[in-house]
Parts: sequence; C-alpha cells; structure tokens
Amino acid sequence: MARLTRRGFFRQTTISAATVGAMASVPGLTMFLDSPEDPATEISPGAIAGPLVAHIRDASTGEISLLVGTRELVFRDTDLVARLVKAAL
Amino acid sequence: MSSHREAPGIANDPVADSTDLYAFVSPDQPNTVTIISNYVPLEAPDGGPNFYQFGDDVLYEIRIDNDGDAIADVIYQFKFHTTVRNPGTFLYNTGPIASLDSANWNRRQFFSVTKVNKHGKSTVLGSGLACPPCNVGPRSTPNYAALAQAAVHSLGGGVTVFAGQRREGFYIDLGPIFDLGDLRPFQNLHLIPSPATMGVDATKSVNVHSIAIQVPISDLTRNGVMPTNAADARATIGVWCDARRQAANIKGEPIGPWGQVSRLGNPLINEVIIPMGKKDFWNVTDPAQDAQFLSFVQNPELAGLLPVLYPKVFPNLAAYKKPRADLAAILMTGIPSGIVPGFQNFTGKIPADYLRLNVAIPSAKTPNVLGVVGGDLAGFPNGRRVMDDVFTIELRAIAGVTIPLVDKSFTPDGAASKVSDNLTPAADRYIASFPYLGVPLDGYSTPSA
Repeated sequence: MARLTRRGFFRQTTISAATVGAMASVPGLTMFLDSPEDPATEISPGAIAGPLVAHIRDASTGEISLLVGTRELVFRDTDLVARLVKAAL
Repeated sequence: MSSHREAPGIANDPVADSTDLYAFVSPDQPNTVTIISNYVPLEAPDGGPNFYQFGDDVLYEIRIDNDGDAIADVIYQFKFHTTVRNPGTFLYNTGPIASLDSANWNRRQFFSVTKVNKHGKSTVLGSGLACPPCNVGPRSTPNYAALAQAAVHSLGGGVTVFAGQRREGFYIDLGPIFDLGDLRPFQNLHLIPSPATMGVDATKSVNVHSIAIQVPISDLTRNGVMPTNAADARATIGVWCDARRQAANIKGEPIGPWGQVSRLGNPLINEVIIPMGKKDFWNVTDPAQDAQFLSFVQNPELAGLLPVLYPKVFPNLAAYKKPRADLAAILMTGIPSGIVPGFQNFTGKIPADYLRLNVAIPSAKTPNVLGVVGGDLAGFPNGRRVMDDVFTIELRAIAGVTIPLVDKSFTPDGAASKVSDNLTPAADRYIASFPYLGVPLDGYSTPSA
C-alpha cells in the first residue's frame, strides 16, 4: 500500500470510513482481527485504549487500513468493507 | 526565501514549515557542533494575542548521517505541549513576565528531547523543558534577553538545547527574485529595464521559531571519533531536519504513523531548484531518494533564465550546455579532496540534499559571509553559519562562478561574480554564543505594518 501522508490521506480517499473510539463494538471485528490471513492484526479489542480509525481508500479492493496510536495495520475484509459502504450510502 | 513557504502544501502549515537549517562548529565551544532548525516563517513581532509557537501535534527532527548512505545514524526528536493557566482571558499575559514560571504568563509551551541511535534505540535527554515567551514588548517581557537565556537548558553530557522565538537570521533581497529575476544591481540590463536601486532586506523585521541544539562532535561522528584532519572521511557529517505529522486528524485528534511533511538541508533547494509540480513531493521524500531530483540540480532552471533575462550579460553561461557537476558536488555529494585546497566535505556517491559539515575545520576568527567561495573554509557550503550570505553564494554558483572547480575550460562571465543581494545584516541579528540567532524583535517596537 502506498505510504500515507497527512494530505494524501484525504486527497486520495474515494470512500473513507472513520470511527473514533467505538470501533471495538462493530460486529464482526473479532472475526477479522482473528483472520489467519493477517496475523499482524491479532489485537484483542480490550487492548486498544485510544481511538481507532479505519480508512478505506478504494472499496473495490476490500483493503482496510487501521490507524491505532502511531501505527498503521493493513488487512483485507471485503465483507466488512461492503457493510461500511452500504452504511455510507 | 531560503525555504520559507517554498512549496504549495507546506505554505499552508507554518508550524511545520522549516525555513532554515544551520550546522557549524560552535565558535565559542570548539569541541561541539551547533545545529539550528527554524520554523514558522515571517513572524510579525506584534502577532498577538495568539503569539507564535511550535505545533503540539508536530514531531520535529534533526537527522545526522555520518557514513554517507543518506540514512540517519543519529536523530534528535523534539515534541512540544502547551498549557494555559487561565482560559477565561484572551490575554497571552496578564502582567509582566519576569521569569519562565511567571504566574502572569498565560499560555506556555514546553518540550522534550529524545535521541534515537542508528539501531532505533530511543533515549529521552530531557522533558518538561520550558520555551521562552514571545517578545511581546517592554511592559510584558522586560529584560527579554535574560528571560530567553533562562530557556537555554543543559541536558548533561555536553548537550545544550533551546527552543523558542529568535530573530530571523536569513537575509535576502527577496522581491526582485520573484519579480522576473530583476536582480539588483543589474536592473538596467534586465529585459524589462528599470533604474538601479539599493537592495532591500526583506526579512529584517521578522522573527522565527528556532530549535537549537549544541552537542559534542563525538556524539555525531562515525564511531564517535573527534577528527582533527580535514581530509579524514569521518570528519564530514550530513545534517538535515524534518517535520512530521500523524497520518490523519479525526475531529481534532491526530492518529496514525508519523509522516514527513517538510524537510530541509541546503538552503533554496526546494525554493528555486525543484519545479512547482515536484515541491510537495520533495517535502515528503527522504534524502536517500534524492537521485530522482539530481537532474534539476544539474540543469537548474535559473541558470537558463539568467542569459534570457539579461541579454549579452551571461554569454559564457548561455553557451555552457553540460550538466552542472559543480552544483551537484556542492549540493548533493559534497566537494571531494583536491578541488579546494585544504577542504573536502565529500560524503560519497549517493546524491542527497543535506548540509555537509567537515567538523575538523575550526571556526573562523574573522568569518567571510561568502564562505568557501570567499576563502573561508568554515562557512557554507561547509555546513552553514547563521550569518552566511547563502543567497549570494548560491546565486553566483548558479551564474557559473563555481563551474571552473570541475571544468577548467570554462571562464565565468564577469557579471557572475558581481551578482549579490548587496545586503549587510544588522549586527544585532546574531549573538556570539548559543543559540547564536539574535534576540527577537518585540511587538511593541516592531509593528507588522
């Protein structure tokens, strides 16, 4: 994935879903966090103390970028992206 | 200007906009190097009540490469936070600020310093360090020089830091540059001629915010050596600064990885060398990626414009069609041994824009503001001192003065060694000791109008 910059983050966004604080309550989160496809995302929801932002640059790829603290985690979940797109319409 | 508002994106983000970078062997502490990175361009001294400060949401860095790979081996990071004593008043201060802990000072800023070594290990050198207030005026900030000096912090290990408002040290006759290169004293020879006039010091009435750090030379060099021979390859260090913001800002809350939004090494590179369409991109790339910009240095647009704007004034420059190896050496690789007697600041073949400082060359007792071009090996482009006339040096270099360093067949045009901003900055723009930039102008005496 291309490196994010402050301006590029917004400029390049086609569909962006951002959730602050409440992402841990989104149905299905545990499932995709446990996905064997992306061991880098094995974080228990309770371990996230601060806000969490999900960024979808291109919904057609199903790719989600999670911003947590000063980290970025990238994974793919087409079902979740589809639900977020539906919510955004 | 040097790097003030030099790119469209960062021009809208002044607290992250690096304006100037200096790196020099400290004249009064010869075993140390002083590095100063400036931010917040063109501060009007009377710019209250929300006087200027650093960005609490910006990560400021000074990076040093000591082995020529254009990757930092030592990083100093600076983070700021602001506190407000009384949110019920609009005032910056409610009485005279006589000390850094004055109860009259309403909005204060503090900072931390972290050193990161080449293995990524971080060590906090200091935290809760006070910045001085801005120089409001004689009633609010009496005895400002002493107040600011109290904000010079010794961190142990020979490291000294300061972060706060200072006088702008960079000087330039700016207006003519952007007025179709109408350089004084050649106005009458311009394509659109005008009467000759004196140079205008465009930055003489503004302040800036400085991050200054003085460290032992051995903290910065390869293997911690203390070189005494200027020919020693380990004597040259590369220095650049950057500012970073987190990837996103959601409802006022920054989040995500730090990403570079501004960087600075040599003065005027992104300003006059890099084309408009690449300026924002240049700011987010690292020096290690600068090979992609090398052609802009080798074929500077301004060198092509001078003969057009001044017909018959620069005929030799107009006829010179080779890539500018002199500029590439000065700005991107350093000058190898054997070109300037007694001098080298070569860091290797990897082209990268950063200041190259040969720490084995002692500071000059009587500095020449033209630096190496003026026979003073302790000045720009051997690092950069606060008083160096970098505009004149680079303008003359672009006009062809330095081509003979690498191509003896070239004879510079007579005008090339005469281009100058013809400015002599006031002596109070600088001081003799750390942080070397002068006491900032106060808002009472220096209205922005």
